[in-house]
Amino acid sequence: MHYVIIGNGVAGITAAFTLRDRDPHARIAIISGESDYFISRTALMYAFMDRLNLRDLEPFERKSYDAKKIERIRGWVTNLDAGIVTLNGVRKIHYDKLLLATGSVPIQPNWLGLESVRTGAVNFVSLQHLEACEQLAPTTRRAVVAGGGLIGVELVECLTHHGIEVDFLVRDSWYWPMALAKEEGEIIAAHMRRHGVKLHLNHEITQVTADAKGRVEAVKTSQNIEFPCQMLGICIGVRPAIDWIRGVTTARGIQVTNSFQTSLPNVWAAGDCAELPNAQIEQIWYSAKRQGELAAKAMLGDTVNYQAPLFYNSAKFFDIEYTTVGAAASESFFHQVPGKDISFRIMHENGAVTGFNMLGSRWDHTYFENWIHERRTLKEVLANLHQAQFDVEFGRIPTPHD
Amino acid sequence: MIKNRLLHDVKNRGISAWFLSAVFTAFYLVLYFTERLTPIAQAIGLDSKWTLYGALYTLAVTAGGIHVIRKYKHNRYQVIRTVTVIVIQATFAFSIPLLLKFFQQPEYYFSYFWPLKMEYLTPSYIFSLPLPFIIYSILGSALLVPILGVFFGKRWYCSWVCGCGGLANTFGEPWRHLSDKSTTSWKIEKVTVHAVLGITILLTVLLFISYGTGNTYRQLANFQTLYGLIVSSILAGVVGVGLYPLGGTRIWCRFACPMAALLGLVQKIGRYRIKVKENMCISCGLCSKYCEMGIDVRAYAQANKSFTRASCVGCGICAEVCPRGVLKLENFSPPAATKAKLVQIKTAPRG
Ligand SMILES: Cc1cc2nc3c(=O)[nH]c(=O)nc-3n(C[C@H](O)[C@H](O)[C@H](O)COP(=O)(O)OP(=O)(O)OC[C@H]3O[C@@H](n4cnc5c(N)ncnc54)[C@H](O)[C@@H]3O)c2cc1C
Ligand code: SF4
Repeated sequence: MHYVIIGNGVAGITAAFTLRDRDPHARIAIISGESDYFISRTALMYAFMDRLNLRDLEPFERKSYDAKKIERIRGWVTNLDAGIVTLNGVRKIHYDKLLLATGSVPIQPNWLGLESVRTGAVNFVSLQHLEACEQLAPTTRRAVVAGGGLIGVELVECLTHHGIEVDFLVRDSWYWPMALAKEEGEIIAAHMRRHGVKLHLNHEITQVTADAKGRVEAVKTSQNIEFPCQMLGICIGVRPAIDWIRGVTTARGIQVTNSFQTSLPNVWAAGDCAELPNAQIEQIWYSAKRQGELAAKAMLGDTVNYQAPLFYNSAKFFDIEYTTVGAAASESFFHQVPGKDISFRIMHENGAVTGFNMLGSRWDHTYFENWIHERRTLKEVLANLHQAQFDVEFGRIPTPHD
Repeated sequence: MIKNRLLHDVKNRGISAWFLSAVFTAFYLVLYFTERLTPIAQAIGLDSKWTLYGALYTLAVTAGGIHVIRKYKHNRYQVIRTVTVIVIQATFAFSIPLLLKFFQQPEYYFSYFWPLKMEYLTPSYIFSLPLPFIIYSILGSALLVPILGVFFGKRWYCSWVCGCGGLANTFGEPWRHLSDKSTTSWKIEKVTVHAVLGITILLTVLLFISYGTGNTYRQLANFQTLYGLIVSSILAGVVGVGLYPLGGTRIWCRFACPMAALLGLVQKIGRYRIKVKENMCISCGLCSKYCEMGIDVRAYAQANKSFTRASCVGCGICAEVCPRGVLKLENFSPPAATKAKLVQIKTAPRG
């Protein structure tokens, strides 16, 4: 049996290890165009901020590939046929079973003038993007970052760390309305401003200009304001990396069944690139890891019927930690610790708690998940909130109930 | 940019780091093997080079400690721990022994115990002390150290009390990430640290036998001198601190300290552990990077395994740097004891 995995991201490597654990004799190869070894994409920002070396981004010791007999192949897959993939347009690799775990690529905007920019416009998704950013930073005094999501803030934090003046352009009327209510958006906005970030809400880039050498020079926004910059961070979202894929059915992503099977026999897909039957694409680390493991099990012949679990995630906005579980609802309880960037929001509907949005303190999300599944009332949850706290010793934050 | 580059150099084994390492090593060589510091000490009114060393040490712990407190001011575990470290260094490890000496009492360090301080269970030394010191010495080493170790792990000593750990966690802060994280160094550490513990125990037993039988053996005296030279001076001082800028801050604690070895064994059967929040790790690696003991914390975190490692000194920096709040130091009480709390509302299973 020859298993081939395209994409050495978290979905791919988790699948490879799962396959190896269950099948000690199969040939397993993992192909990646990005890096020789699996790297943690989530830590790109810490490499940019010099808190980690490139080598620290590798979550597994290099020798574990040999120990687990997993063959690494570096290169870009350019074509997919039944039983065969093509590497860099030339090398043919045969497979018995194939996993597509190609992840995401940044969404590129169609701003006027962007096509004439030869250098200075960056994304922040891959190792190659990191390299480009590191090269540009020393010659950058001012930067513009566009896009009010998580990757945007990470890039803003990195640039600020390097002493670069950053104009952070967000199209919405508060920061990240997709996930946060206005109060939380404002807490984060104020926090970023205290870190020296110039946050501009309700601004959308319309035009980009470059200097004679092709280096980005300024952007103009929907409010007709011009922001000079030597670096432009484009962080307006990601989409499945499927442009090269022919022969399997795709919509926004690679369409898969609940057992991660694609339309082509013996081909599965998992992680950021996979689109589930309800058109859902889960673009987070935890899902990619879980999907990678389950897809491998499906490839091994197990019955797998994946249903995306209750949503949870975590993030960090400069110094503010964030934990979220579940979904928004018609009503919510909100409490901010006076004078601090710490807040609690518990969403509820028809007497039952549906979700949590917590800023500035630490929580064990598994308690929240249980409480949501058990349809606990707001009163019960508030009275027991301390049980879910995960702050450091001596550092417990008083809950609204204390 | 220039500041960042300089910081990078000194923190990442650049030229400035090699230079500093040479300076620290030279300092320890001069201190231990020459009398050059004696006139300097006397010139500023101190009685010996050791008092001068104590003063410099306390200064380094205090200055580094203030830096650490400011850096982690939002983290109460770090603040309280660091204040404790500074206070213990300034009192038990510096001014109290001086005062004792001033009042013609033995120069006793209440913050040190056997097997870190060999003398404190060496019969010829302890039985020369006044009775309260004898009692403290024996009860401290035989009861206090292991009992607290069972309840709180080795951290109560290694990260809250000990001067070696104190210097590492304050003055050594810029270099804590340089510890080697490979499984190979883990294997080496297990051999060397337990070997030193074995030798320490052997030497202690021999000294008791010799004391009990009233015989003084020349070879034993040589053994003791050699032990003092290699373990206490060269490993703890010259290598332990001299290599801070190149190999990280806890080389001595990790590879050679007999106290750390002993407390590590206690820790493995005790209550202390690092709790890992289920499925929240993003494998970023900050925890492993900033672990001064070279523990690959990420390996446990990404596998959802709460864990106790013998070498963990419980400094708490992994939990501090984790951007997803995955890790929590705790004195884990077995589920039976926590059941009562869970009746009202069903909660998540303990990981
Ligand atoms: C900066 C940043 C921060 C993030 N932070 C978080 C976070 O904090 N929490 C969270 O939950 N999620 C986070 N995410 C999202 C998370 O990283 C992704 O959901 C996750 O990495 C997806 O894993 P994957 O294995 O599906 O794909 P990827 O990690 O994208 O891996 C896919 C790999 O396949 C390779 N590849 C693609 N096409 C080909 C081809 N044709 N040939 C060869 N190789 C190919 C790619 O180069 C890549 O190496 C972050 C993402 C970014 C960019
Ligand atoms: S610091 Fe936290 S998120 Fe990063 S690897 Fe360690 S436990 Fe995981």
